[in-house]
Amino acid sequence: MIPQTEGADPPTAPTPPARRLPQGRREWLEFVFRFQSLFGLLAVFIAAIVFSPARNGELLFLTTENLANIVRSVSEIGIIAVGMTFVILIGGIDLSVGALVGLAASGVAVLLMERDYGVVPAVALVLLIGTAFGAVQGLISTRLAIQSFIVTLAGLQFARGLARIWSDGEGVPLAYGDGPGRAPDSFSVLNERLLGGLLPVPALIFVCVGAVAIFVLRRTTFSRHIYAIGGNERAARLSGVPVGRVKVAVFAISGFLAALAGIIHAGQLNQGSPNDGAGYELDAIAAVVIGGTSLMGGRGSVAGTLAGALLLGILNNILALNNVDANVQLLIKALVIVAAAALLTLRSTDE
Amino acid sequence: MPPLLDMQGIAKRFGGVHALKGVDFSLRSGEVHALLGENGAGKSTLINVLSGLFPDYDGAIAIDGRPVEFHRPAQAQAAGVATIHQELDLVPEMTVAENLFLGREPRDRLRLVDRRRLRRDAAALLERAGVVMDPARHIRSLRVGERQLVEIAKALSQHARILVMDEPTAALADVEVEQLFRVVRDLRHEGVGVIYISHRLEELAQIADRATVLRDGGLVGTVQLAETSRRELIGMMVGQPLRDLFPKGDATPGEELLALEDFTLVPRRPRPGRSEPRGITLRVRKGEIVGLAGLMGSGRTELLETLFGAGSSGRQEGAARLDGRPYAPSSARQAIAAGVGFVPEDRKDLGLVLGQSLASNITLAALQTFAHGGLVSTGRAHKAVDRAIAELGIKAPNRGVPVRSLSGGNQQKVVFAKQLLTRPRLLLLDEPTRGVDVGAKAEIYRLLSRLAEEGMGILLASSELPELLGVCDRIAVLRGGVVVAEQTAAEATQESLLEAATSSEPIEEDAA
Repeated sequence: MIPQTEGADPPTAPTPPARRLPQGRREWLEFVFRFQSLFGLLAVFIAAIVFSPARNGELLFLTTENLANIVRSVSEIGIIAVGMTFVILIGGIDLSVGALVGLAASGVAVLLMERDYGVVPAVALVLLIGTAFGAVQGLISTRLAIQSFIVTLAGLQFARGLARIWSDGEGVPLAYGDGPGRAPDSFSVLNERLLGGLLPVPALIFVCVGAVAIFVLRRTTFSRHIYAIGGNERAARLSGVPVGRVKVAVFAISGFLAALAGIIHAGQLNQGSPNDGAGYELDAIAAVVIGGTSLMGGRGSVAGTLAGALLLGILNNILALNNVDANVQLLIKALVIVAAAALLTLRSTDE
Repeated sequence: MPPLLDMQGIAKRFGGVHALKGVDFSLRSGEVHALLGENGAGKSTLINVLSGLFPDYDGAIAIDGRPVEFHRPAQAQAAGVATIHQELDLVPEMTVAENLFLGREPRDRLRLVDRRRLRRDAAALLERAGVVMDPARHIRSLRVGERQLVEIAKALSQHARILVMDEPTAALADVEVEQLFRVVRDLRHEGVGVIYISHRLEELAQIADRATVLRDGGLVGTVQLAETSRRELIGMMVGQPLRDLFPKGDATPGEELLALEDFTLVPRRPRPGRSEPRGITLRVRKGEIVGLAGLMGSGRTELLETLFGAGSSGRQEGAARLDGRPYAPSSARQAIAAGVGFVPEDRKDLGLVLGQSLASNITLAALQTFAHGGLVSTGRAHKAVDRAIAELGIKAPNRGVPVRSLSGGNQQKVVFAKQLLTRPRLLLLDEPTRGVDVGAKAEIYRLLSRLAEEGMGILLASSELPELLGVCDRIAVLRGGVVVAEQTAAEATQESLLEAATSSEPIEEDAA
């Protein structure tokens, strides 16, 4: 291949992108930047080991029970954050997810306890409501050309109001058993652990959701459309991308996953309250941002979001193990968010 | 007397790449000095050094014989260097007047913006630049060419002594070019030196005194334009004898592909500054290249957008048929499905997802071809991408690099590749060679002639008349959304096209 002025030499086949380990300081730096959330996760993990209190010569942080607990504790925010990743990738935002958690949690509790629904119909109906809620927000946003920030801000109020009306404004405790006024025992599976107590069911659901989302965002035409819309919506439209349909689908996914998180929430707490999930939307956004997804859209990954959610979980866990005040935890979380965002900016100016 | 600007041995490296290797450049007061070279030759790098965009560079710069160092844009501005970049630096949501005085708004006694004086000063400034425009208009509502004129007025207002114009005419119609040249000639009398970058070699003789040619980051030479032919210039730029720029294709036009019969778009909400198609009768046959000539705002873009389902929404009147079947796409998606491709005017805004890879961009419009049940087959997609890269001669390190990093010509080829993967029968092109260097231009012309030979019908809108005359079989001239003339390439001349495009004869109103 002789470097020449354009058009002079016969077209040469491009060299395929090389898959190899980086060489030199600069390439290493780029490598770390590219997988910043994974490296961040690794760093926090190592720090957690170092600072872990020990009992009987065993590091508390590294006990399988503790690790499983971390995954369980981030499962709700993690599932929501996966949906949020889709929305943010198209350059949108979904503020309604926290309120949808409340709607789904109280909704499923009301259906099980007061309407004598079986577990499957109750869960299916609540998931359907969440999906439809998201889809309608997407439709309003695309058809009326209103920014998703505003549509979902309204959606947040609407979902919260709906949840309170549905449950008469009160938390509905779940009591298990047979007969009217009791929830079927099978719903309590959300509180159980599989594999001899190692794997909490919510953690399993979280991992499955993450795996499916990673696959979808890697392999499908849908994902190519999502990234194109986030990168340049007008060019995407002119390339025949069904922009409206994709956006509606993305908000529907976010609504579905928020409802799923709400059901898990009710299952774990054995009750559903219309006020559940307050502020979850912001935690989910934090996980997405720490995961390296750009709020401008078009850049980011679910793998990053999973890492971001786990990073926050480990951070909370190790601080709690060391009896650090919960308010100090907030301060540290804030610093982590800023650091992640700063790294992201550094990376994009580097390109 | 020392020259106004003297740059000696300017060199700049990016990583291991020598973008500039020791270039000398000088500019006299009152001179227009053209800077030529293909994309990637180093023109922009040289200009960026002069604008203070790089903290470090090698070589020496002197202004009026006094050595200066430009490490920050503010230093260059203070020394009287003003640059009009290809990427326009205007705030779309603000008015023309506000943009002209951005950051140095006239204040009143309360230190608030003196809006009356702002408007008055802006109007005076525009008048001095010979631009007829309401300073209260929003930049958002201006077309690319009009925005460029605002940029020029803005640079004039900063008392520049050295004015760098990076392809100022790329987006201008010929009338506007004349207007611009008038302004530039006035500037010369005031002792301003102008560095003029352009790919339109035809216009250089009219405006520039000397030309410096760069190639591959090195200096080829500086020549007097009066003594140098266009052919010689191209030879210097390309580094080899000029291949015939416009290949003579032997496509024989076949059956009718696109037929417009008294075609009119009545927009639901008319937008100012848009000339929607009115009463257009036009035919494109298979294997035929039909040109659309006309000034800025004559409705070329609007016609192409409407035909691609991407124009203003509204009611269509008259008849449009593609392959004999009624054709009225309401989205680009439908147009692509019907076998129509579109290369839009503004590739950065409309043609490409700049931050994403070559492969993602090329496959975007034809994804379903590589997909089964919604799953993309990466292997097949990559094979198609590699084939497109080879066929169009796209220069890129690999298919994974973001298209942002490619040169203008290669970016444009990516837009073409994307559209061609959808296997269109009719190709709509809007200024397909804007901001593209001579070599890539010739390649695009060869591509068009090959596509026509393969039986594709092409509708080509361009503001470069030699391009239309060289490439097209027939040329329709638009004015105000109406076809005012249609000439075969054999009978048309630059003069006859320009005459039709600019004539002030009223366009007869049909039953609208």
